[in-house]
Amino acid sequence: MGKFFRGLLISPGCIKLILNHCKRPLKQRKSPSSVRVSCSAAALRENVISFNHLHLLSVRTVISTQYPVVDHEFDAVVVGAGGAGLRAAFGLSEAGFNTACVTKLFPTRSHTVAAQGGINAALGNMEEDDWRWHFYDTVKGSDWLGDQDAIHYMTEQAPAAVVELENFGMPFSRTDDGKIYQRAFGGQSLKYGKGGQAHRCCCVADRTGHSLLHTLYGRSLRYDTSYFVEYFALDLLMENGECKGVIALCMEDGSIHRFRAQNTVIATGGYGRTYFSCTSAHTSTGDGNAMVTRAGLPCQDLEFVQFHPTGIYGAGCLITEGCRGEGGILINSEGERFMERYAPNAKDLASRDVVSRSMTIEIREGRGVGPEKDHVYLQLHHLPPQQLATRLPGISETAMIFAGVDVTKEPIPVLPTVHYNMGGVPTNYKGQVITYTEGADKVVPGLYACGEAACASVHGANRLGANSLLDLVVFGRACALTIAEEHKPGEKLSPLQPSAGEASVANLDKLRFANGSMRTSEIRLNMQKTMQTHAAVFRTGSVLKEGCDKMDDIYQTMDDLKTFDRGIVWNTDLVETLELQNLMLNAVQTINSAEQRKESRGAHAREDFKVLFFDESKVRHSSGNQGPRVWRKTCEEQNPSCLKSSVKYPQSVMIWGAMFCSSLVFLQTLGP
Amino acid sequence: MSRHSKLQKQVLALYRHFLRAARDKPGFVPRIRDEFRENAALKRSDVMHIEYLYRRGVRQLEQLRDANTKQLGSFSRHTKETGNQ
Repeated sequence: MGKFFRGLLISPGCIKLILNHCKRPLKQRKSPSSVRVSCSAAALRENVISFNHLHLLSVRTVISTQYPVVDHEFDAVVVGAGGAGLRAAFGLSEAGFNTACVTKLFPTRSHTVAAQGGINAALGNMEEDDWRWHFYDTVKGSDWLGDQDAIHYMTEQAPAAVVELENFGMPFSRTDDGKIYQRAFGGQSLKYGKGGQAHRCCCVADRTGHSLLHTLYGRSLRYDTSYFVEYFALDLLMENGECKGVIALCMEDGSIHRFRAQNTVIATGGYGRTYFSCTSAHTSTGDGNAMVTRAGLPCQDLEFVQFHPTGIYGAGCLITEGCRGEGGILINSEGERFMERYAPNAKDLASRDVVSRSMTIEIREGRGVGPEKDHVYLQLHHLPPQQLATRLPGISETAMIFAGVDVTKEPIPVLPTVHYNMGGVPTNYKGQVITYTEGADKVVPGLYACGEAACASVHGANRLGANSLLDLVVFGRACALTIAEEHKPGEKLSPLQPSAGEASVANLDKLRFANGSMRTSEIRLNMQKTMQTHAAVFRTGSVLKEGCDKMDDIYQTMDDLKTFDRGIVWNTDLVETLELQNLMLNAVQTINSAEQRKESRGAHAREDFKVLFFDESKVRHSSGNQGPRVWRKTCEEQNPSCLKSSVKYPQSVMIWGAMFCSSLVFLQTLGP
Repeated sequence: MSRHSKLQKQVLALYRHFLRAARDKPGFVPRIRDEFRENAALKRSDVMHIEYLYRRGVRQLEQLRDANTKQLGSFSRHTKETGNQ
């Protein structure tokens, strides 16, 4: 099936890691031929390795490097402590499971805190609403690629999820009669698209993600989850296709920790940092996707990278869609509200891929603003200043700090910026990770995923605004519920090889002492610039192919890395290099899948395979023709560009979308 | 011989707590001894460093006491013999 990449570029000959675990005396041990011990007495004693004799290794010789490994046993381990991770962790604790939450950041520093817009839920506070209309909007917004089971689950659970958050203490903005304030957001309509703009995005001014994360964190302290903060998860411990835990590096003291658990939940977030300009934090490095790739499992829909229309030009900071929901408009150099031409009904509140493409076309046709005519303006000064102060205080400040603009007087310069990854670890609607073997979907036992890292796929080819925060809480809870259904707390763990995780530690060691010629930052910049140039809003076959080749070359330069910090305590050079490895895997898979997908769908717009629809009125709802000619592949064949001879390369990405046939049937029954 | 300073007493108490906590869990005791012996070489006047290590030790002790921590092993790398290493 092609070469499998195991994430490690060690050549087996010269360095071998052995686990000093067993109690057999020296004579019975067969030391492998590649391992030789130097002749000093102390070093000879090193060969006698067992728990009891560990103190004899106290002579710190230069040649020996030791990594202590602490073993932990839990019922469940959650990797990542953002919105989804926290919800899953305390959901599991609530169900009685002994849970560990391993995170490289303190929970309230996860990227969820930066979310601004809101959470969609058909509560019906502003006008009459129904979850089925939300369902329709999400399916349509995903460009018919979303998994309808998952979307059904999410939209039906949405009101309950929001009420639950409110009960946890989340300080939603309120209407005059005390109900949760819901604002208009992109892509939301009433009555299956016929009833005009829907107001169903529940928000907390413009800092919903911040409140959500802090609320969830506060709530999580009630339960007895064990938090392992600032532990960088290196790899999954897989055995016979089953996930048995995680191995992580404690950044504080440099020790390795193996968390053995019956159930592992991946909630590590997206990988915005593969691009030069993105709204994500520096820590959004796609660790979960990379761990899953190294475990030999496929990732889904990675080519769908959402470009948020309004990221500040230059800085890349996000200006929420809520601005447009409150009445903000996008204007070009002629002062024209150009979205009226591209989406006559929805105008500025069309879905994000439509708006991003419109902005890019305006800029390409020369109607951009600024000295280089390379961005557009977002105008808010026509709105009453009180409204700006109450509903959009955060972005007023952001615009002032990052663009030097007073939103009550001047427009904000904006540009489409990478914001979200629709793709990720493929799961079913229950949150169980699935793989595709022998022509069918198969659940990977012991592994679950939720949040941006997962691809359920609720967002399909394009995500609607405010659905992501909903996705986090609903599927975080879903993972916890699925685990509670299938397993019991206190279940005996299946046996694990004592040397599990050896390869990850070998990789770590190799990176720690890397002595090539290229710095981590150089390689990362190369990767980011390549992705930004070759896999942007509009993609062309030839440009993508060139990008794939360039990415291959950049990937090869990873062999030539140079790191500077040789210590093990708080070695941020090492951690950044590990993150770069993860980013590389994501970037390579993204650009290769973009090149392979020869159609335009959602956020993936191909110039040479144009099947685009901007105007909703062009989408026909008759039974035969549900919009554009849709073709999906169920599984990608071997990716020829990966088969370069000496490449230690990930296997090509297996890509498949949702059950297209079933989506046709379902929509027919829903329509008028 | 002067009496132990307060900080020294704290460190010794920590060492005792560590050994007690590690009694039933395989693999910890040698490493604890190793770490403490290595850091014993620190000068008395290097209070900042000692306090930092002490705080780190307290956190590690908490983790050791936790029922879910089971054992300690290690991965070692030995390089090839190149003559006079």
